[in-house]
Amino acid sequence: MIRRASCILLILVLIVSLTGCWSRHELNELAIAVGAGVDKKGDKYRLSIQVVDPGEVASKRGGTAASPVTLFTAEAETIFEAARKMTRTAPRKIYFSHLRMFVIDEALAKEGIGPVLDFLSRDHEFRTDFYIVVTKGSKAEEVLKIMTPLEDIPSNKLYFSLESSEKNWSPSLTVTLDELIQNFTLKGKQPVLTGLMITGNKKLGKTKRNIENIETYSRLQYSGLAAFKGDKLQGWLNDNQSRGYNYILGLVQGSVGHVPCDGEGKVVTEIIRTKTNMKGRIHQGQPAIDISVNIEGNVAEVSCRDLDLTKQSTLTEIEKKSEQKIKGFIESVIGKMQKEFKVDIFGFGEAIRRAHPAAWKSMKEDWEERYFPELPVTIKVDFKIRRLGTVSNSFLNELEE
Amino acid sequence: MRYRTPPIDKTKQAPTADAGITRNAQSRQPLSVSLNDNIKQVKQALGNSTDIIIKEITIGPGPGGGLPIAILYTDGLVDKQVIIGLMESLMMDTALTKRLEQDSAARANIVQILKSDVLKNAEIQEVTNFEALYNAMLSGDCVFLIDGLPQGLSAGARGWTDRGVAEPGTENVVRGPREGFTETLRTNTSLIRRKIKDPNLWVETKQIGRVTRTDIAVMYIKHIANDGIVKEVNARLDRIDIDGILESGYIEELIQDATFTPFPTLYSTERPDVIAAELLEGKVAILVDGTPFVLIAPAPFVSFLHSAEDYYQRADISSFIRILRYVGIFISVLAPSLYVAITTFHQEMLPTELLIGLAAQRERVPFPAFIEALMMEITFEILREAGIRMPKSIGSAVSIVGTLVIGQAAVEAGIISAVMVIVVSITAISSFVMPAYNVSIAFRMLRFPLMVLAASFGLFGIIVGIIALILHMCSLRTFGIPYMSPLGPLVPSDLKDTILRLPHWMLNTRPRLLNQQNTTRSKQTPPKKSNE
Repeated sequence: MIRRASCILLILVLIVSLTGCWSRHELNELAIAVGAGVDKKGDKYRLSIQVVDPGEVASKRGGTAASPVTLFTAEAETIFEAARKMTRTAPRKIYFSHLRMFVIDEALAKEGIGPVLDFLSRDHEFRTDFYIVVTKGSKAEEVLKIMTPLEDIPSNKLYFSLESSEKNWSPSLTVTLDELIQNFTLKGKQPVLTGLMITGNKKLGKTKRNIENIETYSRLQYSGLAAFKGDKLQGWLNDNQSRGYNYILGLVQGSVGHVPCDGEGKVVTEIIRTKTNMKGRIHQGQPAIDISVNIEGNVAEVSCRDLDLTKQSTLTEIEKKSEQKIKGFIESVIGKMQKEFKVDIFGFGEAIRRAHPAAWKSMKEDWEERYFPELPVTIKVDFKIRRLGTVSNSFLNELEE
Repeated sequence: MRYRTPPIDKTKQAPTADAGITRNAQSRQPLSVSLNDNIKQVKQALGNSTDIIIKEITIGPGPGGGLPIAILYTDGLVDKQVIIGLMESLMMDTALTKRLEQDSAARANIVQILKSDVLKNAEIQEVTNFEALYNAMLSGDCVFLIDGLPQGLSAGARGWTDRGVAEPGTENVVRGPREGFTETLRTNTSLIRRKIKDPNLWVETKQIGRVTRTDIAVMYIKHIANDGIVKEVNARLDRIDIDGILESGYIEELIQDATFTPFPTLYSTERPDVIAAELLEGKVAILVDGTPFVLIAPAPFVSFLHSAEDYYQRADISSFIRILRYVGIFISVLAPSLYVAITTFHQEMLPTELLIGLAAQRERVPFPAFIEALMMEITFEILREAGIRMPKSIGSAVSIVGTLVIGQAAVEAGIISAVMVIVVSITAISSFVMPAYNVSIAFRMLRFPLMVLAASFGLFGIIVGIIALILHMCSLRTFGIPYMSPLGPLVPSDLKDTILRLPHWMLNTRPRLLNQQNTTRSKQTPPKKSNE
C-alpha cells in the first residue's frame, strides 16, 4: 500500500517537475503582435511587427502619453529568422496568435508572396483568422506606422474597417490565410487581395499629432482588389471592377449604387441581398459560363423631381437601369481580366471543372492562355426593389421651384 | 481494493485502554442480596460522583420491620417530577404498606408487586446485574434496589434540558417545513414518525461506543427498503468497536465504503422531510443520539446535489435550479484552473481585446498566474474557515478585512490582478450553490490539484485531471450501489429525478438499483379537469 502510494507520488512529482510548465508564458511576458508587414529590401525580407502595449491601451487615464502600439523591425533572409532576430530589439517574445492584419508590400507581391506565406501556415502560433492585404503605393512598414483615430490599435482599425467595408460597401474583400492558400492550389481560380493605401501626409500620419486633430493628416484606406496570378501580383482593379468581382462571386452582402433619372438627379438603391449562380457548360466543344445574379434592394435616396415611386412602372425602370449598371461592372472586370491580365480570378475554370470534369482535364494546362481570354460569359442580372423606405414619393415632388 | 484494511477491523484488533474500565468482570457481576453492598459497589464504581443521587427509604411497617429500598438516579438526566411521582407512589401507598404488613409472601414478591401495582410508570424493567444498572441509571432512568433481593427495577424517568425543535441551521429552504432534528434521539424518531404513519416504518435501536454507550437507531420502511442494504447497514454498525460516538460523523467514517476519497458516501441531513423522502425511496436512516445530523445510506452522488426544496417548488423551476447546481460544480472546480491554463498556455483562445485587457491588468503583477491564483484561493479558504469558527461578535470585522484582502485593495497594491478577484469570487459563490456542505468542500479541495495540473500542463493537464476524477467517482460504491448511478451505470428510468426533476405524477417508480421489490411508487395520472 505504502509502496504503491509512494510510487504514484514519485511519478507525479517527476512528471510535474521534469516536464511541467513546458512552453508556459505569463501574460506579462508576451508581446502581443496585432499587425505584421513584410517588405523586400535587396534580397532580404524586412519584417515589421506592430505590438500592443497593453498598459497603454487599457489604461484609464485619458490622453495617454505613449502610443498604444509600438513597431519592431528586423531584416533577414527569411521571415522566421527576421522574427527571431527581432528579440534583439523587443524586450519580450513576440506572440503571433492574435495577429489581426498581415500586410504585404506591393513590390514584394509582384515578386511572389509564396515564400512568405509558408512560414505563416507552418508555424503553430498563427491562428489563420487574420486578414491579408497588399499595400498600394506605399511600403508595408509605413502602413503599420500610421496612427489611427477611434481604434487605438491601428491593426484593429484595419481589421474592423475591412470587415465593415466588405459588408456595406463591397469593393473590398476579407481574405484569410487558408482561403488564400486554397486559391493558390486551385488551377481554375486565382487569388485576389484587397489593396490598402495611405492617403494624405504620410510623415504627419506617423506622429501622435495624426490623432490629435479632428481631421487627421493621414488615413489608411482600402482601395480596390489586387489580382494575382499564382503568388504574383498582376494588377489592380478599380472600385467598380472590384464590386463587379464581388457580384460574380456572390460575395456582396450589402452595397449602395445609384442610377440616373430621366431628368436631373439620381435614385440611390441600397442592396440588401444578393445571390449568384455561376454555371459552366461546354458548348460545341468550347467552354462557356453563365452567370445569373439575383439582387434585392431598397430605394435609399431620391434626388430627382417628378418620380412617382408608387407606380410599378417607375420601379421597373429603376430596376432595369440598376441591372444595366451592375452588368456593366461585371462586364468591365471580366473584360479587363480576359484582355489585360489573363488571370482567372473568378473561378470560371473551377465552374467548368465542376460541370465537366473530363473536359476540364484536357483544358486545365493551358486554361488561362488559350481558353479563358476567349471564354464567352453570359451575364443575367435580376434586380428587385423590395421597399421604398419610410416615405413613398419624395417631398422633392411637391417642392416649388 | 485489496490493499485497504477496513477501519473497523483495526479498532477491533487494537487493545483499547478503556476495556479494563467498562468491560471488567465487576460490571457483569450480578446484584448482591444486600442493599448496602450494592450501594457500596455503585458508589465505588462511580467514584462517588456527585451527580449520582442515591436515596434510601424504608417502606412498610414500623422501625426495624420496614423494607429498605434505595432509589438511584443521575441528577440532570431525570425529570424531577417523575422521580417525585415515583417516590410518592412508593411511600404513600397504604395498600402496599398493608400488604407488606399482612402478607409475608409479599416481601419476596415485592418486585412483581412494585412492577404491576405500585409504580405507575410504563417503562419498567428488571435489573439483575451492575452493567444493566449503570446503563439504566446513566441513561436517565431511575433504579430501585430492594434490600434482600438480587434484583432491582428501573423506571423510565428520562428528562433533560432539550434544545427543542428549531429551524435547521443548514439546508435552508424558501418553501418547506421549518423543523429540524434535535440532539435527542427520541425527538428525532418522533419527527420522522409524524411524517410516515405506516406500521412498516421500523426502528431498530442499538448502543454503540464502549464508554459513551450512544443510542443509535436504524430506521427504514420494511418492504420498501432493500433487505440486503438493511442487513449490510446493521452488520457494519455491529462491527463498530470504538470508545465513543459523539456525532454521526463517527459512524459515517466507520461504516463508509471508501476512506481515501474526498467524496462522502453517506448523506447527512438535519431535515426530517429529507429523511422521510429518502426512506420512501427505500433508503436506510441512521439516527445517532446527541446530534441533529441523521445519516442516510446508500447515498449516490446525485443525491448530494438535490435539495429538499426541489420537490416543493414547481418541477420546471426545480429542474432549472438543479442544472444551475451542476454548472456550479464545474465552475467551482474548474474556474481557477481554467484561468491559469488559458492565461499561461493557451492565450490564443482568448479574444484579442480580452487578452490585451488581461495583459494590461497583469502588467504590474509580480507573480505567475498560478501563484496568484493559489494565494487568492487559499486566502479565500482561510476567510471562509475564519468566518465559521470565530465568535459571532467579531464577524463583521473579519468580513471587512476579508473584502479588503480579496478585493480592490489587493489589486491596487499590485499583488493580484483584478480578474483574479473575479475568478476567485465566482468560484466561491458557485461552490456555495451545492446544498450539501461536505460535497462543496470536496470540490473546493479538488481545485488545488487541478490548479497544479493546469499550471504544469495547461488544458491537457486539466483534462487528465477531470478524467482521473470521473474514473475515481465511478469506481466508488455506497452500500453496494454504484456511486454515480443513475449516471454511472445509466439507469434511464431514474433519470427523471436526477439532473431534471420531472413533475411528481411522472416520478412513479423508486430508484431501480435500490429496490428490487415494490418499485411502484404511485399510479398517479396527469392532473386533468374533471368533466363538467
